[in-house]
Amino acid sequence: MNLNQPPAPPPIAHLEFKARLLMVFMLLLVCGSVLFVLYARGAFDQTQRLVLMAEDSEGVAVGMDLTFSGFAIGRVHRIELSETGKVRILVDVAAKDAHWLRTSSIFTLVRGVVGSPAIRAYTGVLDDPALPDGAVRTVLQGDVSAEIPKVIASVRELVDNLNTLTAANGTVSASLHNLHTLTERLNGPGGALTVALGSEQDARKVVATLERTQALLTKLDGIAAKTDTQVFGDKGVLPLAHETVVQLNAMLGESRESLKKVDGILRDAQAISGNAKAATADLGALRADVEANLRKIEGLVTEINRKWPFARDTEIQLP
Amino acid sequence: MSAAGFTHRTLTLSGSAIRRIMVEWWHLLHLGASILVLALSPSSYDRAYRNQLAQQIYLNTAPILLGFTVVCALVTVVLTRIVLVTAQSYGLSHYALQVVIRVLVLELIPLTAALFVALRCTIPDGAELTAMHANGQVDADAGYPLAFLRGEVLPRTVAGLFSGLTVAALSSVVVLIVTFIASYGFSLSGLPGYVRLFGQVFSPAVSLIFALKTLLLCLTVALVPMASALFDMSPMRDTRSSTVRTSAEMRGLVRMFVLILLIEIVSLVGNYY
Repeated sequence: MNLNQPPAPPPIAHLEFKARLLMVFMLLLVCGSVLFVLYARGAFDQTQRLVLMAEDSEGVAVGMDLTFSGFAIGRVHRIELSETGKVRILVDVAAKDAHWLRTSSIFTLVRGVVGSPAIRAYTGVLDDPALPDGAVRTVLQGDVSAEIPKVIASVRELVDNLNTLTAANGTVSASLHNLHTLTERLNGPGGALTVALGSEQDARKVVATLERTQALLTKLDGIAAKTDTQVFGDKGVLPLAHETVVQLNAMLGESRESLKKVDGILRDAQAISGNAKAATADLGALRADVEANLRKIEGLVTEINRKWPFARDTEIQLP
Repeated sequence: MSAAGFTHRTLTLSGSAIRRIMVEWWHLLHLGASILVLALSPSSYDRAYRNQLAQQIYLNTAPILLGFTVVCALVTVVLTRIVLVTAQSYGLSHYALQVVIRVLVLELIPLTAALFVALRCTIPDGAELTAMHANGQVDADAGYPLAFLRGEVLPRTVAGLFSGLTVAALSSVVVLIVTFIASYGFSLSGLPGYVRLFGQVFSPAVSLIFALKTLLLCLTVALVPMASALFDMSPMRDTRSSTVRTSAEMRGLVRMFVLILLIEIVSLVGNYY
């Protein structure tokens, strides 16, 4: 026996069975993996077709998701160029999620700064009719990276403005200088009054005015005390006024009684005047009778005068 | 020695070395093709050879399956945590799982499975063939007897291929499960998104390249050590190149690494260009 010959491996019980088991296990693993890949790629899902029209297909890849509220509801199946030069993005939407898409849904293709673009669907009114199979919609495109140069230009302009503001002769520097002057004046004699009035002399005038006002108030206090004594004291104006008012009230009562009497007199006078009025009417008729009688008497006198010896010569002698 | 003479000698040696390498690769290719033809021939799986085949398949696969899977799971947990934490710190957590699946399942698992099977099974199997030749059990001078090829070489080759495929498939499944658990915990709420992400990574082209790469890597680690061992037995090999520093195992390892490198480069080009 050769010493270099490797020793034969010990016999294995149920070797063929174990080998078959391993082969079946491997076959199951491979077949299961293939089926899982197909499932993950959506090969067994019921789908409906949605066609998105875009201006540019840059960044769009087969297999990328169509999301609704952050949830993937479809995936890009194919990308092709239409006859009008626009890009047709054919999206397979899972049938179980298709109810999220309505005729009023809006689709966007947004490119972020990092990563591939994302196709998103937005549905505002969920009561609208469902999106039909094979519907064609225009996708709204937005590019974050395209906005970066504009943002940088704006920021640069902002920084320039800030530099202008904060320069040695800029407005911020002037404002700070003014603030420094202000704080100096605040800390100086006169304080806030100097700041408010502009000069120390004016501030002193205000202080003097205040002092005089205080003296005036002191005098007013004395006057008020005296007034209090004279008005509200025992022999003040107010008690006297009170008594006067009482007396006035009594006088008013008497006046009221007098007025009542006058009122009765007036009523009597009114009755008398009514009677006089009636008498005046009777006097009218009497006067008419008297006047008639007088006219009759006058006529009678005239008649008598015509009679002799009472006749007069009525002829007028002219000179 | 003049400069012209030195140059002439250097060029002559380089030319002969390149010619020798080309001849060796051609014979390796021929032997590999012969083994493949035998592997695809139904007569190679007669009852006479079936026991040997079952034994090699079992011995080359079962002992390493559990250990490699556990190591893969542990490495996956560590790598997933590193990638997730790093991605979160940069605000790119959405891409973390995609990176983990791409790096681990697509790139690392097939390569490490193939290398592990090579180091654990196929290179020792090649050494066994060389030892058998050294013991005089094989008379390679008169050509390789068919019984030797079918009884000794083919079972080891098929077992190596089978072992590589099984280890790669099981490790990929375990890595996917461990990655999901490391990311979402023991909750099924993230499963639909994870499955969708997996589907996005495994596009038809990537799936085809992944399958072809795994198959070719396993074929490489199964065939090259056997073919190298057979080539080293043959009278065609250049005995001048066989020194202590360039033993049969070492030469087989180098040839295998070269092929693995080529396959990896081609798969990377296919995936990312």
